[in-house]
Amino acid sequence: MKPVEIVLVYQSLLGIYGDQGNAKILVNRLKWRGIDAKLTSVEPGDALPADAALYLLGGGEDAAQVSAVNALREDGSLFNAVDDGAVVFAVCAGYQITGNSFTIGENDDVVEGLGLLDVDTRRGAKRAVGELLARWTRPDGSDYLLTGFENHGGYTRLGSAARPLAQVEIGIGNNGDGTEGAVQDRVIGTYPHGPVLARNPALADHLLELALDRHLDPLPDAEVEGLRAERLAFVRRTGR
Amino acid sequence: MSTPPKPLGRRLRLAAATTLGDLAAWASRRLGRGSGASIRGQILTRLAPNAFEDLVAGRRIIAVSGTNGKTTTTHMLAAAIKAGLGADASRMVTNTDGANLHYGLASALAKAPKADVAVLETDERVVADLIRLGRPEILVLLNFSRDQMDRHHEIKGLGRSWRDALIQAGPEGPTVIANADDPLVVWASREAKAVVWVDAASSWTGDGALCPNCGALLTHAPDGSTWDCPSCDLTKPPVAYRVEGTSIVLPDGSRHETKLNVPGAFNVSNAACALAAAVTWGVDPEVALDAFRTVKAPAGRFATASFGATTARLLLAKNPAGWTEALPLVHTNPVILAIDSVAADGKDVSWLWDVDYEQLAGRHVIATGPRAYDLAVRLSHADVEHDVILDLDAALARCAGPDVVDCIATYTPFQALLKKAGLR
Ligand SMILES: [Zn+2]
Repeated sequence: MKPVEIVLVYQSLLGIYGDQGNAKILVNRLKWRGIDAKLTSVEPGDALPADAALYLLGGGEDAAQVSAVNALREDGSLFNAVDDGAVVFAVCAGYQITGNSFTIGENDDVVEGLGLLDVDTRRGAKRAVGELLARWTRPDGSDYLLTGFENHGGYTRLGSAARPLAQVEIGIGNNGDGTEGAVQDRVIGTYPHGPVLARNPALADHLLELALDRHLDPLPDAEVEGLRAERLAFVRRTGR
Repeated sequence: MSTPPKPLGRRLRLAAATTLGDLAAWASRRLGRGSGASIRGQILTRLAPNAFEDLVAGRRIIAVSGTNGKTTTTHMLAAAIKAGLGADASRMVTNTDGANLHYGLASALAKAPKADVAVLETDERVVADLIRLGRPEILVLLNFSRDQMDRHHEIKGLGRSWRDALIQAGPEGPTVIANADDPLVVWASREAKAVVWVDAASSWTGDGALCPNCGALLTHAPDGSTWDCPSCDLTKPPVAYRVEGTSIVLPDGSRHETKLNVPGAFNVSNAACALAAAVTWGVDPEVALDAFRTVKAPAGRFATASFGATTARLLLAKNPAGWTEALPLVHTNPVILAIDSVAADGKDVSWLWDVDYEQLAGRHVIATGPRAYDLAVRLSHADVEHDVILDLDAALARCAGPDVVDCIATYTPFQALLKKAGLR
């Protein structure tokens, strides 16, 4: 059987917050279960694989966002892959560029996004920086707390085709309206940046289950539980 | 050079504030709350709001800035300038304690009213003000990398502030000693009235993806020797000084072995920048290099110290570039890694995933500090064996014995270690 391919998209542009962590985590969570997995790191100018299972877009600065959109549009494979059912997980600036539009620079120039999520991002009243806690309702109806760190100046509003990923308990999330992230078919965007999957293994496994189209049993891990407990206690104690 | 006359009131206020600041610093030391440099500075800036402006004026200043290596480079450069002054060494003042913000600089300068030469480690955020108000003669710009992204949202913003200040200063501005490996440093420095370019053989290029001038993706030679922007004129400039292994090659082609007493290739890079600055100032290269060799544990970095029955070598790493430099220096097994995330460390530890902890495979790591669990999860994914011991003292105690243990720490635990060891 062909290894499950996970593509880390443009680390030099969209890798400002340790975003390669999510790729490592997804690959290892497959390997630890005995499932053959392969990580492909693609830079602008390289051709994006068109038939991978999962594509990851990370955080980056304004100019990098524009370069990434241009390169992805020129390459074209990501759109075909999404049409064929690939999973896309996009965080922070990566989330913004998967939308219809976002703004950059001091003059808030509007840039057209990839259009994979029906969301639009504009500069917010104040930059959202700090710990974020949000309640995610899993496909089986159970709740799971997502913990992460957000750092974004853009505020995102969802259109009718996208629905929120989670409900904010502490932090800003999409725009302060209580919603966090967006889901549309198999494209998921979220603000907690960088290695968000390190703190939220259930979200990592959800992405893998979508990509593999099968159920995965949880992997017990005392250290991850220790990390989650420490971060949840911290954010509840400090309020941020 | 003489200080321009200041209104008497301002001078008296400054004198009074200096005395009060000294008193507070003395009290702080007596109470075991550190060197007192920052409380002295806070009092100074509160009571004499023009202190920074008044204290930097009328001195011959050499400033050192950059994300990593400022402290060690400043120590080396100060030693060289001092050696160059010979019997007049007391004419020089420097901020050896690493207090490098406005009040830290004011504090160091207030302590030495008669010194007319100042070698100043300067925080990246203070460089523009120092150029404007202190008119340094020489400015050393080492590197620019991601650090505390929760506070500085765009790396480029600080580089732009340096660039604007240099443009504004024009012919009154400093001669810049600039690391030609760093595109953002080059973009900022090329506006200076004069630049001495140094090929520092820097290893970290993780933050140099995009052209700071036009936003295009830069091209880097596979061996890291050069870089170029394909869409504008920004490119690695021809250099005057260059690092070759552990040697530095001068503009006249002469090669000088560094033989430093601080470890690591990055300290050879720092020495190359310090040497270019010292020679530009008029110090003989061999005199400068001899002086560099007297620097062994600048502000506690690389110091070996005792903690009860444990002996540890202390390494500071504040950001991915710093960790990339520090990790290859680790020789011991086990090794202690201490992680915190208060404001001074940066509240976001996502950077853990940009550091190649995989190279520690085969060693046992003691993960400690308030964010030890974040590190532990990272180490699991790097296949590195480890224990979590949240408490720093307990982590040290675990490594008791005759052998030295290497300990790399972020800013706050590093300061705590220095204090425990009586080094500050
Ligand atoms: Zn350019």
